[in-house]
Amino acid sequence: MWRHVWPAFADDYRVVLFDHVGAGRSDLSAFDSRHYTTLDAYADDVIGICRDLNLHDVVFVGHSVSAMVGVLAAEREPERFSSLILIGPSPRYIDDDGYVGGFSEQDIEELLSSMDSNYLGWSTAMAPVIMGNDDRPELGEELTTSFCATDPDIARQFARVTFTSDNRADLEGVRTPALVLQCSNDPIAPESVGRFVAGQLPNAELVVMAAAGHCPNLSAPEETIERMREYLERVSVGAA
Amino acid sequence: MTASDTQLDSDEDLFEDAPCGYVACRPDGTITRVNRTFSTWMGLDGAGLTGRHFSTLLSPAGRIYYETHYAPLLRMQGTVREVAMDIVRADGTRMPCLLNSTLVTDPVGQPRSVRTAIFDARDRRSYEQELLDSSRREQQIALELQRSLLSGELPGSDEFGIDLDYRPATNTLEVGGDWYDAFWTGPRSLALVVGDVVGRGIEAAASMGQLRSAIRALALTCMSPARLFETLDAFTERHRSGLMTTVAYMELHLDERRAIYAVAGHPPPLLWDPGRPTSFLNEGRSPPLGASYASGSGRPQATVELAVQASIALYTDGLVERRYEPITDGLDRLRTVIDAKRPDVVAAEVAHELRNEQPDDQCLMILSLR
Repeated sequence: MWRHVWPAFADDYRVVLFDHVGAGRSDLSAFDSRHYTTLDAYADDVIGICRDLNLHDVVFVGHSVSAMVGVLAAEREPERFSSLILIGPSPRYIDDDGYVGGFSEQDIEELLSSMDSNYLGWSTAMAPVIMGNDDRPELGEELTTSFCATDPDIARQFARVTFTSDNRADLEGVRTPALVLQCSNDPIAPESVGRFVAGQLPNAELVVMAAAGHCPNLSAPEETIERMREYLERVSVGAA
Repeated sequence: MTASDTQLDSDEDLFEDAPCGYVACRPDGTITRVNRTFSTWMGLDGAGLTGRHFSTLLSPAGRIYYETHYAPLLRMQGTVREVAMDIVRADGTRMPCLLNSTLVTDPVGQPRSVRTAIFDARDRRSYEQELLDSSRREQQIALELQRSLLSGELPGSDEFGIDLDYRPATNTLEVGGDWYDAFWTGPRSLALVVGDVVGRGIEAAASMGQLRSAIRALALTCMSPARLFETLDAFTERHRSGLMTTVAYMELHLDERRAIYAVAGHPPPLLWDPGRPTSFLNEGRSPPLGASYASGSGRPQATVELAVQASIALYTDGLVERRYEPITDGLDRLRTVIDAKRPDVVAAEVAHELRNEQPDDQCLMILSLR
């Protein structure tokens, strides 16, 4: 997910990349479906990583659901985090009274049931086959490890936890400076959601990117890097 | 090729009336051109489609999949093939499709456009749905069968208690073959059974049911554990059902405070009491059921005297076994966990600590004398 982005920061920062448990190259046997029932479990893991590596002054960069995981981690141990960069965050995907998440409950149920009928699983099973014919094996590796959870059951549970989460109430307590990077025309986390996140977080600013879609870290890495850099310079000047 | 052939199949016709939908987009997904086949499916004219983002034509589920998987995949590998999605037509109805896309790049590798062919997959999808439904029904039947075999109250009294933790495999759609049983065989004696049938699904559940009933019937004849296994050998061989099942069987005599047990290809029971370290009962071992045990030498059994407040654990390999490690590591881990929790060992806590996400049932039964 980050291969186009992280090298730009490798000279100035210590870059720590990780896969959430159950995804990518994480130890799949560490995934306990009884434990990973909310995003809090993933936030605990982030704190665990910070503790084990003795990280302080952390700039947490998270995309999509991982952005909210970072928010929850910063809520828990604010002293560890100097800032949050949230790319396409959404605290709740399902519409609610006066809140536009972008999806109805029915939409999300359909997504989950289509996963239940293995609709997305077929594609995950297909990915290695497609990549087998590719002349760029390193992409195959990235594809199968980062996009397609190797285990469809884990992918299904993760989707359920993600799309039924509601962490709106957690936002106002997180004082860590945050940048919300919002894509234009993001069909998953629409701009109204990005504005909501930036509005609820006490110390956040919103930047709407020219890039469209939900994965600017892949589709527009240059713009993503530039917006991140600008922000980090701004907050470090502000702090000095 | 004649002139009329060329006229009939002009480039324009080949594109517009191809037997598949054809859509061209900018790299960001904005539609630049669609063919007639596609606009007819959609119930819109081409002008109503150009300028829209391709993902807005999909169902919400498809839209999420498109943004999180399809578009990144396409960007990384240049093509995506045979992805199933629903497009939503102008009248709101859905049409199941299969999508293939190609990313067109300029000479320096910058994306220029995305070409997508869309195939009508309505019949195919309903067939796939039927297949899924039928496999789900089968799975449901096996689950119900398993549940009915494993329900029922476990015996208990002032003198002993039985604590059980049973976790069916979570990472698989199929029913596994672990089972347990505990029942009175006489006024002062009871039998404990934990076993594991080879295979999965309905067949495994049915074998499990047969063996469970056979053991219950044989146990009531006061047959010794060794003799009971020999009879089960004949039973499994004769009926070709439950072959290679592993099982631990234990007879408990409350008055004598004695257990007689036999273990067929199964991990060893674990014993602990206030005056003794936690240890495995490694005697009375022989191969799994039906493993051509007609050597004539007979199955072994062993006897162990039980102290006041002794506890015995029977379990299945799903509790201890992990991929890529010898089973002895798993057995050591079980003993360590139980050691740490003595004297009041709760099966659910042990099972939770040893939790295993591998696709296997896990079963732990602990009998404690009071």
